[in-house]
Amino acid sequence: MANGTQGSSEILENLKLELRRGCLIVAVLAQLRTEQYGYTLRKALADDGLVIDEGTLYPLLRRLETQGLLVSQWREEDKRNKRFYHLSPAGDLILKQLLEEWESINASLNKILQEASL
Amino acid sequence: MNPSSPDSSTQNAADLIDRYLQAVRFWLPKSHRQDDLIAELGEDLRSQIEDKETELGHGFDKTEMAAILKRCGSPMMVAGRLGPQRHLIGPALFPIYEFVLKMVLLWILVPVFVFILGPVNLANNGGNWALAVANTFGDLWSGLFIAAGIITLVFAIIERTNTHLGTEIKWDPLKLPPVQKDKRKPSLLKALCEFGFNIFGLVWLLLVPTYPFLILGPAAAFLKAAPLLHTFYIPFVLLSVVALIRSAVTLARPQWTWFPLLSQLLHSVLMLILLRYMIQAITHAPSAFPFVVLQDAVRDSAKYIKIAAIVNVSILISVAGAWLGLSIAAIVQTWEFLRYLRNRTSSPRQIAPIGAQ
Repeated sequence: MANGTQGSSEILENLKLELRRGCLIVAVLAQLRTEQYGYTLRKALADDGLVIDEGTLYPLLRRLETQGLLVSQWREEDKRNKRFYHLSPAGDLILKQLLEEWESINASLNKILQEASL
Repeated sequence: MNPSSPDSSTQNAADLIDRYLQAVRFWLPKSHRQDDLIAELGEDLRSQIEDKETELGHGFDKTEMAAILKRCGSPMMVAGRLGPQRHLIGPALFPIYEFVLKMVLLWILVPVFVFILGPVNLANNGGNWALAVANTFGDLWSGLFIAAGIITLVFAIIERTNTHLGTEIKWDPLKLPPVQKDKRKPSLLKALCEFGFNIFGLVWLLLVPTYPFLILGPAAAFLKAAPLLHTFYIPFVLLSVVALIRSAVTLARPQWTWFPLLSQLLHSVLMLILLRYMIQAITHAPSAFPFVVLQDAVRDSAKYIKIAAIVNVSILISVAGAWLGLSIAAIVQTWEFLRYLRNRTSSPRQIAPIGAQ
């Protein structure tokens, strides 16, 4: 029984991770409509309830930059070198499309849940 | 400077960050924009610490810094998360890799080593079975390792050079093989035929001593069974009875899906043991005529001696062929039985086809 409980909590964690993965991309793109560096971005996401660790955020930022959705620049601020990111024009377009998709999924899901609760 | 002063403590803490970043760098792949990543991670850590220090109203000491770094994770783990996702063979190629590996190792290498290299080793070791088996399995073991290594290397090269292979494979849904029926449930017709054939076989075997022409044909006029065949006659009759009981149970209890597979395997093993003893008996008591001998009336006829020799050689080849065929059959039956057990334990419920509900 204990194994079963442990197994189901593991399954839940994995499913939550899968669910979060796509949402994080949208959240990061949305946050970077205004320029930010890694730590402030992480902090802003955490303040809004999306905690993300360094090991997840920085590879994601690199991937989005390689895909041309973000632009980055090293700049000195408060006597320290920081890498600032912001959304590229292509990223802005993709974000709009992703948000449309998100709204469509959300509407479908709500409809399904309403039907199920009847 | 006093080593325990606040300045010294802050310096020690900053030193700890540099040491941590150096350890992370060690685990990062050299080509993966190492400096960039380390600088960004360092900046993140320093910003985190700065925030905490402002919140607490004092500088961090070494212990507090160590706690922050510990929360971040071990350098190896952090580097693993920061670095590129690495795998030898990706998910697109892996099913093909697994299929090729199984085909080459289980269906090519194992039979080649057991049925070709095995007899060669037996001949080279002067008929010493134990030594031949040990040598064959030793060679098989190293052969499997080398083959698995080469296949993995080839697939790793394909993975590196063509990562889009999985999406480029052309396939046609109309050419997919038809749905396989459940092979485990024996058909009534097959079970009936098997039962009838086993009755016929047993009756034939029981009549052979009285009517030798049933096995020797016209040659029964001048040939008769050698003492060796008399010795093995009863075990062969018993095995035929076992086969008859087996087919009767299969017919009477079709719901015992495990029974045909297991009983067939046991029957093959018993048959192999019997044939092995027969071959051993021929080897230990070498005779030009181990299976059939001439009738007393024609014992000295050169013509019949030649025919008897040919018949004996033919039977010997048949026995050796039967032993080889049964060995292969026993391996296949073992595999099928293990697959049956695995399917039974892994999927207790049969998936209903779409539209069958």
